[in-house]
Amino acid sequence: MKRRTFLHVLGGGVAAFAARKPLFAAAAQAPADQFFVFVHASGGWDVTLWADPRNERKGIVEPASTENTDPAPITRWKSTKLDGDTDTFQILAPNDVALRFGPGIGDLYDLRHRLTVVNGLAMNTVSHPDGTAFSATGRHLAGGHSPASSIDVAVANELGTGQLLPDIAIGFPSAYIGDRLDRRAIPLRVANAGTISKSLARSDIYLNDDDRAAVTALLSDEAHELAGRSTYPETFERVRSQEDALPRLLGNDLKNAFTAKALTDAYPQLDYKAKYIGQGALGAAFAVEAMKRNLVRCVGFALGGLDTHNQNYKQHAHTQQELFGTIATLVKLLDVTPHPTRHGAKLADHTHVLVFSDFCRTPQINLSGGRDHYPNNSALVISPRFKSGRAFGKTDEAQLLPADAGLAFSDGPRPISPPDLLATFLHAFAIDPRTYLRDGEVVHEMLV
Amino acid sequence: MVPTEVYLRAYLTWFGGLAPLDAQNRARPRGLFDAWDDYLAALGLPDYKIDLPRQTQSNTLMLATLGRLGEALCVRAAEHDLHQKQPLDQRVVFAFDVPKGAPTDDEFAARFDVLHRTFLGYPATLGPPDRVARFHALYAAVAARHAGAKQPLTPDESAWAAVCTALVQHPEAELY
Repeated sequence: MKRRTFLHVLGGGVAAFAARKPLFAAAAQAPADQFFVFVHASGGWDVTLWADPRNERKGIVEPASTENTDPAPITRWKSTKLDGDTDTFQILAPNDVALRFGPGIGDLYDLRHRLTVVNGLAMNTVSHPDGTAFSATGRHLAGGHSPASSIDVAVANELGTGQLLPDIAIGFPSAYIGDRLDRRAIPLRVANAGTISKSLARSDIYLNDDDRAAVTALLSDEAHELAGRSTYPETFERVRSQEDALPRLLGNDLKNAFTAKALTDAYPQLDYKAKYIGQGALGAAFAVEAMKRNLVRCVGFALGGLDTHNQNYKQHAHTQQELFGTIATLVKLLDVTPHPTRHGAKLADHTHVLVFSDFCRTPQINLSGGRDHYPNNSALVISPRFKSGRAFGKTDEAQLLPADAGLAFSDGPRPISPPDLLATFLHAFAIDPRTYLRDGEVVHEMLV
Repeated sequence: MVPTEVYLRAYLTWFGGLAPLDAQNRARPRGLFDAWDDYLAALGLPDYKIDLPRQTQSNTLMLATLGRLGEALCVRAAEHDLHQKQPLDQRVVFAFDVPKGAPTDDEFAARFDVLHRTFLGYPATLGPPDRVARFHALYAAVAARHAGAKQPLTPDESAWAAVCTALVQHPEAELY
C-alpha cells in the first residue's frame, strides 16, 4: 500500500472512531463533585399563587380568593379585600430581594435570597405528558415519545458516570434517548424511594452474599467472553458493567440505608405525613442520603397533586405550601450536611436544584370551581451558579401569557422557553447545550 | 432489550407455568420477594397509577430486581424438587437425581446440561468450552461454603440453587 493510501485509510478510521465516541466531551472541563436535584411538581401548578402572584381582577385573571381557596392552613396568607365579602391574599413583596410571591411559597419564602425564579415560560402545550417532557427535555413529544434525553441524563452523562448510581429517577420523567450516550447514565427509575431498597434486599436464609458475589462474578466473566464472540460486543459489555455494579449495590450498608424507615429516621425534619405530597418527601430524604454517601450525581423526584380542575382547587395553595416546604427543608438539610469529598464544605454549596412543572393553570376559575391547563409556566432554580433573589421573564397583565422577557435573544424579543432554561443550566456546568438540546439559547444574564 | 413482559413470561414458564400471582405467592415466604406492585417501575413496566411510562433501557436496578425474583424462584424450586425429593416426572426445574457426595466432572456436566437446556435452550456442549467448568467451580464453592451450616437446604441443594440463579440471570437468557 502506498503511504498516501495508508494515511488516507488511517485517517478515515480515526474519523469513524471519533464519530462513534460517546458524548463525554465536556467532562474534562466540568466540575466532577457537584450534585443535582431535579424536582417535578407534577400536575401543573398555579403560578399566581407563588412565582407570578396576582391578587386583582384584571383582564381574564380571577385571583385566588376566599371564594375559591381555603386559606385557613396557608401560613403566608394575609387577607386583603377583593370585593364585597370576598378576600384575597396580600402579595409578599420583600425589600431585600427583587422577587414577589404569593402565599403558596410557604417556608421557602425564608430562603428567598437563594431563589432564582423564571416566569413566563412559553410552553405551547396544555397536555400533561407533553408539558412534562418539554420541561424535562426541551422537546415536545413526537408520536407520544420523548425525542431527546432529559436534563438529568445529560448531566449524568457528562458528570456522573464515575458514580455508582449516576442518575436515580423517583417518579421523575427521565428520558434516555439515543445510542451515543454512556450507558452508565441510564436512569434507574423507581416509583418511590423505598423500592430501591426492596429491589436490593436479599434473604440470607438460603444463599448468602458470598454466594451472590460468586454468581455475579461468574456472570460478568460469561458476559465478557460472549462479548469477545459477538458481532455486537457492546451489548454484552453493557450487561457486564451492570453485573459488576451489582455486588456494590447489594452490600448490606447500602440496602439498609435506603429503606423507608431508615430514611425517615435519618431525616425527621421532612414532613412525610404531609396531606398532599407526604410520600414524595422520601425522595428528598433519599437525595440527601445518597449525595452524602457520594453514590449519585443526579436525583430526580416528583412531588405531585397539583392537578386541580374542580373544587379541589381549594386545596391547591395548601399543596404548593407543602411542596415548597419540602424543598425548603431539603435545602436546609443540604446546609448542614458535609460534602463527601470537599473537606469543610457543605453540600448546599455544591448542589443545584431545578424545580419545574407541566405548565400553569388558567387565570380564570372554571364552572367547577377549579383551574384548567394553561400554556404558561414558571420554574425555580436554587444554585450557587445562578443569580439569586431575582426573577427572569414575565407574563402579560391581562391574560397571564408569556411575554417578551426583555433579554437579548439572538432571534429577537421573545419569552423564555424551557429549552432556554435547560441550555442555561447545562452551560452553568461547562456542558455544551448543543450536544443535548436542539433548541434553546443560554441566558447569560441568569448566571453569576 | 426485549420488553420486560418477555423476561417475566420466561421466568414464569421456567418455573412450572406459573401465573404471576402464583409466582408472587411462591416466592414471597421468608422475605425472598414482595408483591409485584412494589416492583413495577424497577422492572421497567409502566405504572399507570402514577403516570410512569415503560422504560426503554435496561439498568442495574432492573437486573437486581429480576435477580431477586430469579433467586427466590430457584430456591423454591430446589426446595420443591430436591429437598422434598419429588419423583423425577414431577420436578419443575431440577429434573435429575443428585449424586451422593460431591459430583464428578461428568456427573456435574450431565446434570448441568439439563438446566442449560431449560434456561438457555441448547446443550451445554455447544456453549463456550469452559462454561461447564466455570459453573462447576461455582457449585463447588457454594457447597463448600454451606457445608456444616444448619440451613433449610443441604449444601448440595444450595449449590444447585446457586447454579440455577446464575443461569436464570445469564446474559444469553436475558438477551435472547
